[in-house]
Amino acid sequence: MVKIIIDTQEYMVDESATILDAARSNGIDIPTLCHDEQLEPFGSCWLCVVEVEGERRPLVPACATKVRDGMVVTTKSKLIYEARKLCLELLLSDHYGDCLPPCQMACPAGVRVKDYIGLIAEGKYQEAVEVIRQNNPLPAVCGRVCVRPCELACRRNLVDEPVAIDFLKRFVADWEMGNGQQLENSSQQLENSKKVALIGAGPASLSCAYYLAGMDYKCEIFEALPEPGGMLRYGIPEYRLPKDVLDKEIANICEHGIEVKCGMSLGRDFTIDSLLGDGFEAVFIGIGAHGSYKLGVEGDDIEGVLSAVDFLRDMGLNKKIRLKGRVAVIGGGNSAIDAARTALRLGADEVILIYRRSRAEMPANEVEINEAEHEGVQFHFLSAPVRVIGSGKAEMIECIRMELGEPDSSGRRKPMPVHGSEFMIAVETVIAAIGQVPGSECLVQEQGIQISRGKTIVVDNGMGTGRVGVFAAGDVVTGATCVIEAIAGGKKAANSIDQYLQGVEITPEANVFNVSKGSLDEVNNLEFEGVEKQARVRMPELEIEKRLKGFDEVELGLEQVNASLEANRCLECGCNAIDTCGLRKYGMEYGVSLDRFKNGKVHHYLIDNSIPAILRDPNKCVRCGKCVRICLEIKGIGALGFVNRGFETTIEPTFGKPLAETECDSCGKCVEACPTGALWGELSIAK
Amino acid sequence: MQKTRIIVGLGSCGIASGGRKVYEQLQLGIDSRGLDVILEETGCIGMCYNEVLVDVVLPAGNITYKQVTPKMIDRILDEHVIAGNVIPEWTITQEDEICLNKQQRIVLRNCGKISPESIDEYIKQGGYKAIEKVVNGMSRDEVIDEITSSGLRGRGGAGFPTGIKWGFAAKSSGDKKYFICNADEGDPGAFMDRSVLEGDPHSVLEGMLIGGYATCANHGYIYVRAEYPLAIKRLKIAIEQAKARGFIGEHILGSDFSFELEIKEGAGAFVCGEETALIASIEGKRGMPRLRPPFPAISGLYGKPTNINNVETLANIPWIITNGAESYASFGTEKSKGTKVFALAGKIQRGGLVEVPMGMSLREVILGIGGGVAGKHEFKAVQMGGPSGGCIPSSLLDTPVDYDSINQTGAIMGSGGMVVMDDTICMVDIARFFLNFTQNESCGKCTFCRIGTRRMLEILERIVSGHGVDEDIELLEKLAQSVQKTSLCGLGQTAPNPVLTTLRYFRDEYEAHIKQRRCPAKACKELISFVIIDERCKGCGMCIKVCGVKAITGEKKKLHVLDADKCIRCGQCVAKCKFEAIIKVDRW
Repeated sequence: MVKIIIDTQEYMVDESATILDAARSNGIDIPTLCHDEQLEPFGSCWLCVVEVEGERRPLVPACATKVRDGMVVTTKSKLIYEARKLCLELLLSDHYGDCLPPCQMACPAGVRVKDYIGLIAEGKYQEAVEVIRQNNPLPAVCGRVCVRPCELACRRNLVDEPVAIDFLKRFVADWEMGNGQQLENSSQQLENSKKVALIGAGPASLSCAYYLAGMDYKCEIFEALPEPGGMLRYGIPEYRLPKDVLDKEIANICEHGIEVKCGMSLGRDFTIDSLLGDGFEAVFIGIGAHGSYKLGVEGDDIEGVLSAVDFLRDMGLNKKIRLKGRVAVIGGGNSAIDAARTALRLGADEVILIYRRSRAEMPANEVEINEAEHEGVQFHFLSAPVRVIGSGKAEMIECIRMELGEPDSSGRRKPMPVHGSEFMIAVETVIAAIGQVPGSECLVQEQGIQISRGKTIVVDNGMGTGRVGVFAAGDVVTGATCVIEAIAGGKKAANSIDQYLQGVEITPEANVFNVSKGSLDEVNNLEFEGVEKQARVRMPELEIEKRLKGFDEVELGLEQVNASLEANRCLECGCNAIDTCGLRKYGMEYGVSLDRFKNGKVHHYLIDNSIPAILRDPNKCVRCGKCVRICLEIKGIGALGFVNRGFETTIEPTFGKPLAETECDSCGKCVEACPTGALWGELSIAK
Repeated sequence: MQKTRIIVGLGSCGIASGGRKVYEQLQLGIDSRGLDVILEETGCIGMCYNEVLVDVVLPAGNITYKQVTPKMIDRILDEHVIAGNVIPEWTITQEDEICLNKQQRIVLRNCGKISPESIDEYIKQGGYKAIEKVVNGMSRDEVIDEITSSGLRGRGGAGFPTGIKWGFAAKSSGDKKYFICNADEGDPGAFMDRSVLEGDPHSVLEGMLIGGYATCANHGYIYVRAEYPLAIKRLKIAIEQAKARGFIGEHILGSDFSFELEIKEGAGAFVCGEETALIASIEGKRGMPRLRPPFPAISGLYGKPTNINNVETLANIPWIITNGAESYASFGTEKSKGTKVFALAGKIQRGGLVEVPMGMSLREVILGIGGGVAGKHEFKAVQMGGPSGGCIPSSLLDTPVDYDSINQTGAIMGSGGMVVMDDTICMVDIARFFLNFTQNESCGKCTFCRIGTRRMLEILERIVSGHGVDEDIELLEKLAQSVQKTSLCGLGQTAPNPVLTTLRYFRDEYEAHIKQRRCPAKACKELISFVIIDERCKGCGMCIKVCGVKAITGEKKKLHVLDADKCIRCGQCVAKCKFEAIIKVDRW
């Protein structure tokens, strides 16, 4: 035994031990990727560097340096930390893969898409819905109206078409409504649990309340309109989101002891102060963006000129509205499409949509635009209104032709009027859908809430407003955007509120550590060459004639058999080794930057799945050589070896053959040893 | 009376300069004239810039002709060999001779003098006397003491005292021990070892025999790169001859000492010059360095105690034994004894091999012996120690050439390559060039060496192409220091040297590339344009002829025009124009 000092502490250790052995046996963690106790020290990763007093070199590898009597070792210092961090950054700069599936990364709420699709493929529908609910309490709603950033990111785009993620979400959500056992009300409301007030009953508040209730808080939602749902009820038309589906989903959320008080308006019926005075210990503001912009042209205030927000809200309020003649909708977003399609259903003879840019620039969902077109909406692109003419009531709209100039700050080409190209269209109704703003006037009186020029509430990254105990999320923070953003914001706020009410520091979740292959245009589709093409499932739809007769839901939902087929189209992106990967673990621990060497060369290798039990993905290899050494030194086979030199060095089976053509006996020792996902035991079941 | 001898320099440099044809022409000329002359070949004497060298050895004296071509043979034979009249305009100059005389030739004592394929000539020069002295009268310890007190340090680069290294191997116990000669000379621009092997192979064999005796090793390997076919051929001949004379084999010279010797041809991986990688390569494994300890002296080839010395180190050994440690130690400085062979290359007037006492100044070696920069350009820097070395600027030309002084500059002695650079060389680009070499030659084992050098190279590529950003220098420096600190073997530990030394001495050039998108040396293609100076252009059409992309147009005797958009900045026109009418200007 010899006496050594590690980080100022004295230890007696075996004289044959290395510094790494000595540290580990005394509970001191030193990171390493290339060391394996079954093997001789190799010294390739250089992650285990430590400082030893009196050594010639400033840093030595702990895995290979033997202890000496009186040795003084430092395992934590700035020099060590920076060397290890840089080492990890270098390894990660040539590490090609997706830690998390791109769909999950693209989802603002981080819904574990791959997992629930896998469960759908296995027929475990209840479990699938529960996975969704961990991040999104409105699966039936989102399954119908989500803008689906996940599908835009789906790697299957490089094979044929993206997996119909949203259809699958709706499928399980509907299944649960019909067959499933609603989640039991697990939260037992404690008498003394703290009370949270939520203002507005839209998706942000519903989400926030749902997750707070799950943490045993007593939630009360105050809603100005007659029924809860916010824009889900008063902005999205029935034919896209039937009210009974919405009602059921809200009811499901409210089962968790959440109380909704409708007809209660901030500033009129209560204030934040009054809420805090009434025993609420935190307040969440989720009042959405229910205001709208006027057209801003002459005659925009005469009768027959409406805003889409008001028009759709009236629909939600079940007001009887009849339209006839020609209706002109101005705008290119989803609200414009919703208004146009709604107008068609209300008896308008003709609906035209006037947009100042071209189709390619329309912010509305492609699917929605197509549906509107099918239903008979006519598009007038590169046109903008100049004035509305009419004596007492709208009769004509004067427009001007536009042409696209240089890109503006949004990156889209700026529309410029073509001088002298004015033209007239006879109309009876004009619906302006040119943007929504938060109705934040009700907040002006409130102390400490900072309102931006765009009328949104300014929040910190924990969704806290300037006022202690008051949080906000949803459209009132982001400006009008999509449902899933509001849901994500609501959940984030719930976590902050929980921390606030527990009296601990509010620490918003840091950005998730994620290595990505890049966006779709950065990934070579040759990578997916071997994947068999299989068309995306089509959503059964109501026939056009039936649609226009009323407000029946257009999309009818997937059949079980199709849902199952579709679920099997998932490529299961994301790394199998996500929970075991050393590179990821230490990468997070050392706070590495993933883009320090972002313009450097990254290797792209083909994946070898020639042996069923071993999936070999050299893109993730850190060249630690554990597999090479285990296979040769422990197994005596030597199926793998180092090849090439310099940056091109890699590990390959003998003579570059597939593993199946080597002496490999699938023992799996290499898989066990691999510190990343470069070698993985393939799953024996389909999903 | 002694016969007339004609000796042709047929080292690789001589052969590359057309030596074989000269030799054949001489043979023809001698035969057709019926002359009674001995025609011989020899290795490189070091004046590579003067090859093909032909010595005519008459009783009246020895005359050396330089830059001989086959056309010159008839005159040499008729006028000199037959009529006895030297052709003065063809002989080497007095200056050449002075340069030779300034040198101190211990390692190169026989190179260019004797026939490397004749053991007799080696013996005539006192060869194999040292092994005889050792096996017949010196104990192992005495030999080791002699080498230790000579102060000889390893000439492969690291400069570890040879005697002490031998002592470790000698003390190490084992049923079998190995003695390896490292002839894996891999530095671009270095050819000291090749010249010794081609010019005097027996001196290396004798050095190995003495080392084998001293360390109790009975089995030797010469690990020589396969790219040195002539060296291998001459080594094989030398081994056969030495075996036939009883210098290699059982009971050498009647003693108890036996020694077998094998040649192992390397496949040209630079990293195999590192001793543990070299050992792995002999064992048939991938040439990859391993952690030390254990050092090869304890556990080397096949796990047995092993000593490894470089060619030049070994060529010194017989001389030290014969002339004594004291004579050897009389050359050099306090900590760096003896002589060192340097390969002068690059933009130098007299490129070739020189052997000088340690401690001579760089100025004396480069400007004195080497004649300074060729042409009318200015000396800018010298890269010492190969791709792992560093660039020493002109302000440090008075640095004495010894291990410690060179290390202080940030460069290393290395194996002795000196690549001389003039003011047309961009120091950022030269750092990129050397780093490109080492990063390609990394064995790929260590993270920093495998990926770190690559990322450094990418930064340098960015800078020379005019896309560098302000943070690049800092990141480059940080990476360089990290690669130095956290690499397993000498390759990684020294690979950043060219970058660090150019950053130290030529930082302004890096900054000019980044901040002004300007290459001060006007060498980086992306940062320069070529223009024709109207007054100078004579309309000769030479530039039009050489331009491969038709970027230059114009009629004969009229002003030519260069289309900058088509121009690929290859520089052919500049080289061809006699009137210096085409010049490089900053592009941005």
